[in-house]
Amino acid sequence: MRIDYAIEHPVALHAAFDVEGFTVLLGASGEGKSMLLRAIAGLIPAKGEPFGGMPAQDRAVGYLPQGYALFPHLNAWQNVAFALRGPQRREHASQLLERVHMADLAERYPSTLSGGQQQRVALARALARRPQLLLLDEPTSALDPVTRDDVIAELIAEVHDFGIPALAVSHDPHLAAVADRLVLMHARRIIQIGTPESVYANPVSGAAARLLGYRNVHRGYIEGTASAPRLMWPDGGMSFPINSHAAIGAQVDWMIDPAAIRIVDARDTLSDVIPASTEVRHVNGRITQLGLRCGLGRLWVTVPEGIQLPESLALHLSPEAIRCWTRDI
Amino acid sequence: MNTAAHHSRLPAAVSTLTLLLLIAPFVGLALVTHWLDFHFAEGDGSAIAVSLGYSLLALLLIIALGTPLAWWLARHPMRGKWLIDALLLLALLTPPLAMGLLLASMYGPYGPAGHLLERAGLILTNSAPAFVMAQFYSALPYYVIAARAAFEGVPRELEQIALTLGHSPWRSFVHVSLPLARLGLAAAVALAWVRALGEFGVVLIVAYYPQGIPVKLWVNLQNIGLNAVYPLLWIFFLVAMPLPLILGLATRRQRLI
Repeated sequence: MRIDYAIEHPVALHAAFDVEGFTVLLGASGEGKSMLLRAIAGLIPAKGEPFGGMPAQDRAVGYLPQGYALFPHLNAWQNVAFALRGPQRREHASQLLERVHMADLAERYPSTLSGGQQQRVALARALARRPQLLLLDEPTSALDPVTRDDVIAELIAEVHDFGIPALAVSHDPHLAAVADRLVLMHARRIIQIGTPESVYANPVSGAAARLLGYRNVHRGYIEGTASAPRLMWPDGGMSFPINSHAAIGAQVDWMIDPAAIRIVDARDTLSDVIPASTEVRHVNGRITQLGLRCGLGRLWVTVPEGIQLPESLALHLSPEAIRCWTRDI
Repeated sequence: MNTAAHHSRLPAAVSTLTLLLLIAPFVGLALVTHWLDFHFAEGDGSAIAVSLGYSLLALLLIIALGTPLAWWLARHPMRGKWLIDALLLLALLTPPLAMGLLLASMYGPYGPAGHLLERAGLILTNSAPAFVMAQFYSALPYYVIAARAAFEGVPRELEQIALTLGHSPWRSFVHVSLPLARLGLAAAVALAWVRALGEFGVVLIVAYYPQGIPVKLWVNLQNIGLNAVYPLLWIFFLVAMPLPLILGLATRRQRLI
């Protein structure tokens, strides 16, 4: 489904993209993502398609706001039945609850349900309206981090099962990673659209890389000569050689894979290494990353298993692993 | 003795004192009432009927006209809203006697509105409509302010969700705003009822007749004496209390959130 919306108030925003399957619009907080969903749902004035000009109650959208907004005075099945009419409403609501695996909790009130359970009731309620489009505002924000991945998996399976295109807006890279289609928004503009594979493989800018949750994205500029360009990293107080073709003097965002950084002993007098000190260890299963302080900046480094760390650390950044994007100022 | 128990003593002591102060006049009433010679003055029965009947009518009018205003004030931000706040405060602040005089000068036989209404057959002095009007004016601002606070407590998002689920704004109001605001609205209704029923100053000026209970208490005191006041006062409590009491109990019993 093609979305094309322009909002003027409270902030100007224009967004046009296709929603296919489970589409995630990824953007930082304050980009107006929630506003876009509210505009599509008809809750704030805006121009665009689909549903342009229709009152909210006539738009065939299922809207799940942040926190899900279940009616506190109604129990689970009554919440779902809210969108239904006629003598069959209870039965129909029960069927929908069954499809989201919540039939056992049909009599429970929202305040007694977990975040994931509330989300499923809200999903069933939104689906009861027979929407052509599902709108999900930060669907992972109210979830318990321990069960989050499972809840998201369930949510996406249900969305696929019902066969209704869904647009989720989020700033959570975890959610972006499991989307069918990914749309990146920065500075109130759509900056990149594609499958998660293609977008993660080739972020179009430093801002895109930051949104995607990449570590080690920093600012710098190019100095040196055209034949021997160097990347100056002001926060780290260092420059090092690169293989980029960026113009000398250009302001850039640059990024390096934590696995491409080599830890060396600061006492070995090597050139172009950055002295560093350990700030934090991040153990994630079998992979350990170190957060290392370099001047005013920080670099994350993946530590190979079983390596003995030298007493005083320094880092070597391999030139071919550094990616640079020219910044538009 | 632990400190928690110690700390809870002071509030308990102050609460007891406050309750004693509250109950004192009613203990006095119980003591001075001539229980062996408990009888009503002539006209007390009709005063009860007048008070109950017309207060109920005034209450219905207040709910019908005050609820939309309260909702509108709670939901529609606009410039110059402080003027409406000031207007409501003005109505609250006006001493009842003065409000009676203002109503008489507007709706009385020589008032600009009264003159026109009288031609249409509506007499707003010493009449049933005048009685209802007096109660309406004295209780309406209380109702509007309390009901507005009740509506402001309803998350706007829930009303909007109701729209996205295909409900019209009216159905969303009935099925979401009203039930979620019901605690506060019940309190507002109870407050308006108590205010309307007990109103004396405004009624004295514009609707001395038909005599409701507050005016009849005054008349009994003037014509007969204190002994004619107490029995009517007991009945007043008896008939005025059930509505606010039941409203309070019923809404508090239904658990919310």
